[in-house]
Amino acid sequence: MRISRLGGSIAALGTAAVLAACSSGTPASPGTPAANAGPVTLEFWCWGSAQKANVEAFNKAHPNIQVKHTDVGGGTDTATKLLTANRAGNGPDAACMEYETLPSMIVAGALADISAYTGDIKDAFSPEVWDLTSFDGAVYGVPQDVGPMVLVYNKKRFQELKIEPPATWQDFANVAADVRKKDPEAYLATFAPAEFGNFAGLAQQAGASWWKVQDQTWTVGIADQASLEVADFWQGLIDKDLVKAEPLLTPEWNNKLNKGKILTWPAALWAPGVLYGIAEKQAGDWAIAPLPQWKAGDDRVAFQGGSALTVTKSSKHPEAAATFAKWMNTNKTAYDRQIELGEYPASLAGQQAASSSAPPKLTANQKDYWDIATKAAQRTIPHISWGPNVNTAKSAYQDAVSAAIKNRTPLRDALKKTHNLVVEDMKTTGFKVAGP
Amino acid sequence: MSATGHVLPHRRAQILPTLVLLIGSIYCLVPVAWVLVASTKSSGELFSTFTFAPGTGLLDNLRDLFTYGNGLYLRWTANSVLYAVAGSAVSTLISTLAGYAMAKYEFRGRNILFYAVLAGVLVPGMTLAIPQYLIMSEMDLVGGYWSVLLPGLISPFGIYLARVYAMASVPDATMEAARIDGAGEYRIFGSIGLPMMIPGMVTIFLLQFVGTWNNFLLPYVMLSDETKFPITVGLYTLLSKGSGQPVLYGIAIVGAAVSVIPLIALLLFLQRFWRLDLLSGGLKG
Amino acid sequence: MTATTRAERRSRAPYLFVAPAVLLFLAFLAIPIGYAIYLSARGLRLTGKGIFGTREEVFVGLDNYLKTLTDPEFFAGFGRLALYGLISVPLTLGLALLFALLLDHAGSRAKRFSRTAIFIPYAVPGVTASLLWGFMYLPSTSPFSYLTRELGLGEIPFLGAGGIYPSLANIAVWGGVGFNMIIIFTSLRGIPSELYDAARIDGASEWQIAWRIKIPLVAPALVLTGLFALIGTLQVYGEPTTVRPMTTEISQDWVPLMHIYRNAFIRDDLPLASAASVLLAAGTLVVSVVLLKVTQKRAFGGMQ
Repeated sequence: MRISRLGGSIAALGTAAVLAACSSGTPASPGTPAANAGPVTLEFWCWGSAQKANVEAFNKAHPNIQVKHTDVGGGTDTATKLLTANRAGNGPDAACMEYETLPSMIVAGALADISAYTGDIKDAFSPEVWDLTSFDGAVYGVPQDVGPMVLVYNKKRFQELKIEPPATWQDFANVAADVRKKDPEAYLATFAPAEFGNFAGLAQQAGASWWKVQDQTWTVGIADQASLEVADFWQGLIDKDLVKAEPLLTPEWNNKLNKGKILTWPAALWAPGVLYGIAEKQAGDWAIAPLPQWKAGDDRVAFQGGSALTVTKSSKHPEAAATFAKWMNTNKTAYDRQIELGEYPASLAGQQAASSSAPPKLTANQKDYWDIATKAAQRTIPHISWGPNVNTAKSAYQDAVSAAIKNRTPLRDALKKTHNLVVEDMKTTGFKVAGP
Repeated sequence: MSATGHVLPHRRAQILPTLVLLIGSIYCLVPVAWVLVASTKSSGELFSTFTFAPGTGLLDNLRDLFTYGNGLYLRWTANSVLYAVAGSAVSTLISTLAGYAMAKYEFRGRNILFYAVLAGVLVPGMTLAIPQYLIMSEMDLVGGYWSVLLPGLISPFGIYLARVYAMASVPDATMEAARIDGAGEYRIFGSIGLPMMIPGMVTIFLLQFVGTWNNFLLPYVMLSDETKFPITVGLYTLLSKGSGQPVLYGIAIVGAAVSVIPLIALLLFLQRFWRLDLLSGGLKG
Repeated sequence: MTATTRAERRSRAPYLFVAPAVLLFLAFLAIPIGYAIYLSARGLRLTGKGIFGTREEVFVGLDNYLKTLTDPEFFAGFGRLALYGLISVPLTLGLALLFALLLDHAGSRAKRFSRTAIFIPYAVPGVTASLLWGFMYLPSTSPFSYLTRELGLGEIPFLGAGGIYPSLANIAVWGGVGFNMIIIFTSLRGIPSELYDAARIDGASEWQIAWRIKIPLVAPALVLTGLFALIGTLQVYGEPTTVRPMTTEISQDWVPLMHIYRNAFIRDDLPLASAASVLLAAGTLVVSVVLLKVTQKRAFGGMQ
């Protein structure tokens, strides 16, 4: 690290010097350290295709802060690497982090509270979104993209099979059965055992609350009534062979999707961008619909996925890193590029810009795309609370659910197993946990 | 046994063993053939055409591969070469020195050292990855080239082989004669021991080279900056990112094909220098 | 005078020769093992700092060992490993021995080609091999499933519940046969041919010669390759990890090393992972020593 850092900073110094020469006379933007401190070099870890170009744009606009971007893998890999790097004392200055992993990162002591620098941008976000990164007045990152849940469906195939997007989950089950009858090779949807965040979102929509904290005492509800009912619902579909239980986005799954044998993906607003990467040829064939509801007439949905740009505790330049995090998520250049690449920005201005832009390529022919998207975004469930050991919960969930599907044992038992493991882990670590 | 009876089993004795060997060869070559064919397919063809039918996307795939992340693939190749060549060369020298000393000198602690080396051969290197990571982070080396190079320098198996080879190939009488002629111990090693051990060193080097080239867990644990990855970790991340950016599956396949070709060529070329009898020959001693 | 300095130098020389190895051995084997043992007695526990509290490292005694030893999943991992090893180790050794004997057999043809072809997988890293085989197992890209589908037999469930062990073991067999074959082959070549001539005069068939003379004489090489195969099995990590995204059959803690990796990095519990590492290393050592005792003096024993 020593060697590489040195190399990196020498290179950055070179670029900074050139840039400084070009832009001499420009006043330093607010929040940057005094000019005599010289340019600050920040290490930044993030995945996603929009990052590289946005970082370059930021560097151009900020001669005093030079950011070096590294893609260390997806959301899970980045969290994993950040934890170990933090323990070893050689983490980056800023990193993208999925919302669900934030509490565990805070408990691990990996993230810095940047509330001192974020007063001016709080209003740039809706309260639901801002709550994703702020806890009791402390702010642990600037929201970057959000994923209000929607149903992404292959409209062309729906029309061929003469079916309509389901409004409720009961309809969803009926349509699933209909699909199996009309095309025995096709399935309406996939139930993927690894999709912890997806299941959590569906359970939240049904009224589940997986973690709650009050006065440092936690309540865990991974196997609460609502969650068990959601598990039973999917259990029924799997047992009757109405949905296919298999991992998502494998070469195999992609192939089936391309052949039109997977008709929907109940996911979030980032999903059309992902599917476009697999099924470019189906651009224009797809559309989004509001996520099915448990009760007809409801319109509440949860968030799935999405990430914030956080500042690490080990950073020696938290203020510069916060400046970077703010710029990346409120600047027009940055959110325009996000939208272009299929991400749904977290900031209000970004969402505004999105609603007047063209729909993503996968759903290019859908006129009301942004109407549905905006409505979903406005009706997300506020105050979602993730626990301090989501990493453990996630891996426990994935193993228990995979095993349940493999051994044909009930999904509700897998949820209970996950619940017990999570509670036990929290107690071992020393958290106060109310109830069983 | 009649004359005819002698001929028939003889021919059968040719056909059957040859057939079995050829089946074994095909078994070993099929995946290599598959990846070479698959690398010619565009991402659509990969799933839609017969697996062994060549596709039309080879040039596009190669372009995608070499332009991915501003030429990351070439970086990974260069890194793999650095880790494997530099690491194995130094490691071979260290092993040779230690093995030579353990074979040719009586010194206090020799037996302890021998048992330590033996234990080192038997402890799975993989279980050490995590403690090594922690030590490296204490030394503030995690994430850099040294974090992968340094742990690779010590090879208990290499020391063990060097010791076996020194015992077998460096005669005590020659060393004693040199001593009588007034040569010092370091000169004896340089002018007698080292030259005699060169064939053995080549084998140790090659074993170490392939081991390092194929190593996955150590660099995977140590590194986070993808510009320092060796090919194994690079290809793995392409696959694991593939779920978010599915286009990368294609790149991973071409990357695998391209990485396999030079290694096979190297292996074919170096085959004649292998002295694996050293492995089994030494055991009979 | 000169005699003393030379004797001194002679007594100093071996220490200098082994010094780099000893230093590296201490730094990257002995100290990490010691550190792992130290860490295995510690644990991350909550302290009052921060809004949710912060986890910090404290001494917890044998808690981590207790937790590991009472974790049925950890042992289930060994069970899966055993099943995998029961397929891969005998097959690797058996095929390696078979091919080595055939290469040594006077009647075989195409020897040079076969030897090279069978050795080639050794040059393919395990991760790459898993990637290749993984795609060859997936129904839509598998040439085997393509054939069976064309024949109306349906697809082969390589990555299904029944197929996963043979499929993963196959990757290890594929990668390991060549290297082991060469070791056994070179040791076959070391056997003086007079031994066979004598047997042939006595009327022994080629199979009898192989069974009665060749195999017993290459036993040390077999023990060595067997030991490597066993250690290799205990270290299985890369293959199932690479294949994992393609199937629901492989859990995050499918084999012990994956269990350790998951605890260390995904669940952020290095102390717990260290305890499991220590147990695994000790277990390997015991297994190896037992194996060597059983086959005593055939391999390493003879070296003393």
